[in-house]
Amino acid sequence: MTVALQIDGLFKRFGKQQVLNGFSLQVARGDVVGLLGPNGCGKSTVLNIICQLMQADTGQVQLMGQQKIEQSTHARTRIGYCPQQSALYPDLFPQENIQFFARLYGVPATQRNSRVAELMERFNLVPYATTRAGLLSGGWQQRLSLAVALVHRPELLVLDEPTVAVDVEARMDLWRLIEGMRDSGTTILLTSHHLAEAQRLCNRVALMRDGKVVAEGSVPELISRVPGQAVVKVQSEDLQAVIQRALDLGWPVRQHAGKIGLLLPQNLNLREIVDALDGTKVSAVSVDPVTLEDAYLELVGDSSLIVQS
Amino acid sequence: MSPYGLLLDQTLAVSQRLLLEQWRQRRGLIFWAVFPAAMMLLFGLVYAHNANMRAGLDAAAAGILMGAALFFSCLGGTVSIITAERERRTLRRLLASPLHPAAYFLGVVLAQMVLAAVQVLMLYGIAWFIGARYHGSLLLGGLILLLSVFAYVGMGFFLGARFARRSEEVVVALSAIGVPLLVLGGTFFPLEIMPAAMQTLAQLNPMLHMNQAFKGVAAYNFGIAELRFELTFLFVFCAISLALGLRSYRLLLVADQKV
Repeated sequence: MTVALQIDGLFKRFGKQQVLNGFSLQVARGDVVGLLGPNGCGKSTVLNIICQLMQADTGQVQLMGQQKIEQSTHARTRIGYCPQQSALYPDLFPQENIQFFARLYGVPATQRNSRVAELMERFNLVPYATTRAGLLSGGWQQRLSLAVALVHRPELLVLDEPTVAVDVEARMDLWRLIEGMRDSGTTILLTSHHLAEAQRLCNRVALMRDGKVVAEGSVPELISRVPGQAVVKVQSEDLQAVIQRALDLGWPVRQHAGKIGLLLPQNLNLREIVDALDGTKVSAVSVDPVTLEDAYLELVGDSSLIVQS
Repeated sequence: MSPYGLLLDQTLAVSQRLLLEQWRQRRGLIFWAVFPAAMMLLFGLVYAHNANMRAGLDAAAAGILMGAALFFSCLGGTVSIITAERERRTLRRLLASPLHPAAYFLGVVLAQMVLAAVQVLMLYGIAWFIGARYHGSLLLGGLILLLSVFAYVGMGFFLGARFARRSEEVVVALSAIGVPLLVLGGTFFPLEIMPAAMQTLAQLNPMLHMNQAFKGVAAYNFGIAELRFELTFLFVFCAISLALGLRSYRLLLVADQKV
């Protein structure tokens, strides 16, 4: 495995707030790694440090084996950065935005026009070639922003919540584009609030809490850390009775946002579940496979999620 | 690409982008032209109307160019550029790119030089029509303009990085800091009518030396020998301005982190 990005023991404090608290992560070349965690857990701070927009108080970031990337212009040319908001020049046309950044990144003049044309084509921006970037919808701006981030063929692509504030259709489009990049072997580190996004796009996920990684692995690995084969969601007039029954049966119970989930230690069919909960005034039952969301709540969520007898 | 080649290309990319944006914002461009033109027309007509002030017409044209036109376009324009980069969040993208701070600074200077050249032609066209004349060396006048644009851009970077975080603050920052400098620069009143303390203070103001140097060349055909002091001051101030501009670029990074 070739390591693209190695982060060791990052600490960062803003005033009295310790934002990063020993953050470490390894990203292999060709991996798509998602950083997930609640607001304020330090996700964007990590990306800012990698992109040299911020300096860590202590800790080290190595990019493709290059140490001390802080203030290294060369390291900047190896990273493509797509910020949370599109960050484009609104009065310039899409190809002018891409061309401008191509020049900043030193894309040779002989290759520049063909590279811009290639990205315009790849991101389906050609029909908008004479539309100012500021007049494009949020989804199209984000497409353009991704194209800009790729103009210099970076070895590492850093995406800070790439589908935040775009509609569902645009999100699906962006996912397809990112999948295309993943399939072509681009190493990507992204942050997201959408667990479905991480589940679909990332082959590894790092879950963050309080400025450090609390769990890391592939999506199936993280899911396997949930003590259950499936999640049963129940509606009942008497939830306390349901909880008590589940605990008696040895099924772990999780409570989140006023809803309860029962984790099945072994696969049972719906009939067996209904029979097991008989007498607890259950009005509706659904059984779902364990998802990344369940793993997230299990590994990052507050310990008060866990209901004990 | 060699490092110097990259620096040059980055500089040209920044200036071209700024000029293109300026061209696309035509309404702003019209206001940007109307203000100094109106100033020149009004001051020119007042000077031309009074026989005892007529001799000062040539100097008035130079003063309006340096004090009103270049001040607002080069200094105000630079502050606006920086606040716009911040508001559009393109600043973060620039700071994450390998753009050299000197290339960004020089790109802004170059764009402002092009705009200044257009302003010179426009203003002196109006001034010529009213009766004012340019008497001195074009080369020396050009050098003073170059130094002045440099100095204004440096001050613009400093003000933009330190004081103007949002576009609404640009006008306030310009008024609060720039207008006193204009007054102390002899744009509105001759230095001689100011109290002694103000005159001493005015000597520290780069705008005074820009005004005096350009008036000296344009209105009185002074050469390098007569303008030695002003030119030395401007050269030193330009060096400080460049250092200030580069430092301010770094400060933008720090300031942006705190937001």
